[in-house]
Amino acid sequence: MTSTDTLSITPQPTRLPIRFGQFLPLAPPSIMLIFIFAIPMGMMIALSFRGADGALLTLDNYQRFFSDDLMLAGLWRTALMSGLVAICVTVMAYPVAYYLARSTSRWRTVVFALAIAPELAGVVLRTYGWLVILEDHGAINSILIWSGMISEPLPLSKNLLGVVIGLTHVVLPFGILSLLTSIQGIDPNLERAAQILGASRLSIIRRIILPLSVPGIVSSLLIAFTMSASAYATPALLGGAGFKVLATMVYEQVLFYIDWPLAAVMAVLLLILMLTMTLAGTRAEARLQRKLHV
Amino acid sequence: MDRLLSFAFQLSLFLILAFIALPILVVLAASVSPTTTITFNPSEWTFQWFTALTASRWLDPFLLSIKLAAIVTALSGLLGFLAAYAVAYQKCPGHETIMAFLVSPLAVPQIVKGVAIVLFLSSSGFYSLLGTPGLVMAHIILTLPFVLRMIAGAMYNFDKRLDQAGRILGATAAQRIRFILLPIIKPGLFSGMTFAFILSFNNIPLSVFLVRPGETTLPITVINHMEYSLDPVLAAVNVASLAFILTAILVFEKIGGFSTQIHGGSK
Amino acid sequence: MSSNDIEMISVTKAYGSHRAVNEVNLAIPAGEFVSILGPSGCGKTTTLNMIAGFAHPSSGDIRIRGKSQNGVPPEKRGIGMVFQNYALFPHMTVEENVAFGLKMKKRPIGEIRDAVKHALRRVHLDGYGERYPKELSGGQQQRAALARAIAPEPSLLLLDEPLSNLDLKLREAMRVELKDIQEQLAMTFVYVTHDQDEAMAMSDRIVVMQNGVVAQCGRPADIYDHPRSSFVADFIGKSNLLPIQEVQRSGKDWVVSVATGLSLRAKTPDDTLADPPQYCCIRPEAVRLTMVESDASTSANRLAGTLTRMVNLGAYFDCFVTLQDGTVLKSLVRSTRLPGLTSNQTVFLSIEREAVQLLPR
Repeated sequence: MTSTDTLSITPQPTRLPIRFGQFLPLAPPSIMLIFIFAIPMGMMIALSFRGADGALLTLDNYQRFFSDDLMLAGLWRTALMSGLVAICVTVMAYPVAYYLARSTSRWRTVVFALAIAPELAGVVLRTYGWLVILEDHGAINSILIWSGMISEPLPLSKNLLGVVIGLTHVVLPFGILSLLTSIQGIDPNLERAAQILGASRLSIIRRIILPLSVPGIVSSLLIAFTMSASAYATPALLGGAGFKVLATMVYEQVLFYIDWPLAAVMAVLLLILMLTMTLAGTRAEARLQRKLHV
Repeated sequence: MDRLLSFAFQLSLFLILAFIALPILVVLAASVSPTTTITFNPSEWTFQWFTALTASRWLDPFLLSIKLAAIVTALSGLLGFLAAYAVAYQKCPGHETIMAFLVSPLAVPQIVKGVAIVLFLSSSGFYSLLGTPGLVMAHIILTLPFVLRMIAGAMYNFDKRLDQAGRILGATAAQRIRFILLPIIKPGLFSGMTFAFILSFNNIPLSVFLVRPGETTLPITVINHMEYSLDPVLAAVNVASLAFILTAILVFEKIGGFSTQIHGGSK
Repeated sequence: MSSNDIEMISVTKAYGSHRAVNEVNLAIPAGEFVSILGPSGCGKTTTLNMIAGFAHPSSGDIRIRGKSQNGVPPEKRGIGMVFQNYALFPHMTVEENVAFGLKMKKRPIGEIRDAVKHALRRVHLDGYGERYPKELSGGQQQRAALARAIAPEPSLLLLDEPLSNLDLKLREAMRVELKDIQEQLAMTFVYVTHDQDEAMAMSDRIVVMQNGVVAQCGRPADIYDHPRSSFVADFIGKSNLLPIQEVQRSGKDWVVSVATGLSLRAKTPDDTLADPPQYCCIRPEAVRLTMVESDASTSANRLAGTLTRMVNLGAYFDCFVTLQDGTVLKSLVRSTRLPGLTSNQTVFLSIEREAVQLLPR
């Protein structure tokens, strides 16, 4: 079989010289990113370790944060609020995502638009809407008082409840999208296979769909948690003056108390909270994905 | 049993969708209700609150937000294209690492980016950049990763043989970009820019640190006002800005034609 | 007491104005291996889904073991199914997958254990029970899916192109195994496929579908030897299909004129033709090719032409012969029969009258 030799010429590896022209288009975006993102981030982290006496590396500022009960309460409140929103969002997003993943009806497009489009409206409009609905003289309390069911307005806003409702509304579309991706990845034939083997609707949900959508549930919890933990406007407006979370506390430190090292500490803590959650979440998600998918 | 389950499912679906729609419907109704009491009766509706929008107290921030969003959109489109061209199209050495660096701001919450930028500008003597220049730069840091990802996505899908075909037909590098690459990645470019426009126009967490008296964006003006009262004018302002965004999306769609891409059409 | 496992009575499935399945009548006898064969979009999968209960007929009735299945959900039909992509539950081991159906029927644990073991042994997967589906090869996944379907011992098994994701060698081996399992268990198999070789190899009966209707139903040999339409002749096996211009009676034979001017003598089992035939079909193996002119005394059709192309199939040659009038006929020639056969030489063809089949459409 000598004739094949002429056909199979081994390609010689050609080493292309690195042309610096290739990197030229990267200059403007990279310079921008270095000066407006990388250096400021580095300075902020450095500032959080700067002592009042000029020391470059001290934990004084962190100690100030952790010895202050009000600030610790703010940290705890951030975690509690974000956790509650994560659960509410995931529970509410699940039926919508399941419907969107499986439905073939013409209502599907309508439901999709309804579920996702509010994101265009921005946080301010939606927060305003919830305030009008929830506040003491708002729609719900007016109706309840008018109907005689209550005499004093229920505390629906300017507290944790109001913030959780508002944030759930803001984050819900993201929860729906991440669950949708996951549920769409579950082969519909699995449900049919279970059904033809005699499984009821309930046991299909319990034994097939829920276990297989765990990665989606994790990513929905994760995105809801991280978005809530760093949300500023909703807690500021729906939570009222006494409702302090890391995001609003940072803002106050920068603009009212002008305590920049403390602001830097809070920002770093918020970053750490987010990064650990993201890391733990994506790890768990990747592990589950690997286990579940062929 | 299964019927009960199906009923419960549909009921929960309906309630969740109602929850999503409720505040938006309330704002729409509030913007046309004659008093602070919201009415859903169309015969009572009035547009009196919208006339307040012509006052400079609302009009100036509105115009600033539009200007800001336009500059941010154009610049992040340009920077995003340049970066994507090197990283996703030319696949320059180390393109994966460079891409990871360019999208790294996504991992940092906006409020943290805002603090970092305002501390940097204030403590490094760039105090004069607070206001519009600072807002533009901060918003670009936010939007660039998104725009870059969408353009890079379009470029990764680009069939390199089209470029080779253009080359064999005698097109120069600039001509190939102008007549082959750009038209094909246009939907990705424009969907990225639309996204950048919305992000910038609605932004609060970055803007809140960088606005200055007399240079305040619309969302910040609204939330500052909202802390004191729920004036129906605010509803009108919100509805007007929503209408503006929807119009802007339609215009972008008209130019960029990205809905074919989003709906998986072949283009 | 009906001996048919499945009866479909004028079943129609319409999506809007499109009829995916149109007035299908079908009886599938118990214990038979029946293939539903057709190109994609012919309605075969819709038919299978209606039998399974995943789709509902727009009109007509489907009966399983004599009982109408109208309103009976899939989980209550007591049938098994093997899916094209296997649909193994990725979060369960092979054993858990196979046990699933029995568990849903709330069988005692001991019984489940025995049935799982039995089913796995039958598909030669003993020892693989602890593995997850992704740890199996394609062929093993296929077997696991089969084990899961037969473990609850349904009397009726539906198979939706189960071999289409396997490579050719494995596919051919699985054909034999599937047929063995079907015979041993005496189950009714309804097998959907677009692969005619697969259908021919395994089936007791083939249902050929086209555009939502049954084009022909019968034993594999009958369908091959006596296709009832040009579609069936073309879809099953290879054929020379020639459009007919005119048919005339000549003694006991028919004289068929083809559009190009060629005329052939045909002999049909029945003396009359119900419809005027539109096509004639000649299987390539019935076209006998020789290098010298054959004996003039035979009653066969004798033709001469030029061998324009030979395609080497290994054991056989596909020979394309262009006749004087321009018609191209395919002939199948065993490689060893005519040494020295080359392209562009004059060759002679003889076709028995019985091999020229007249098709109404």
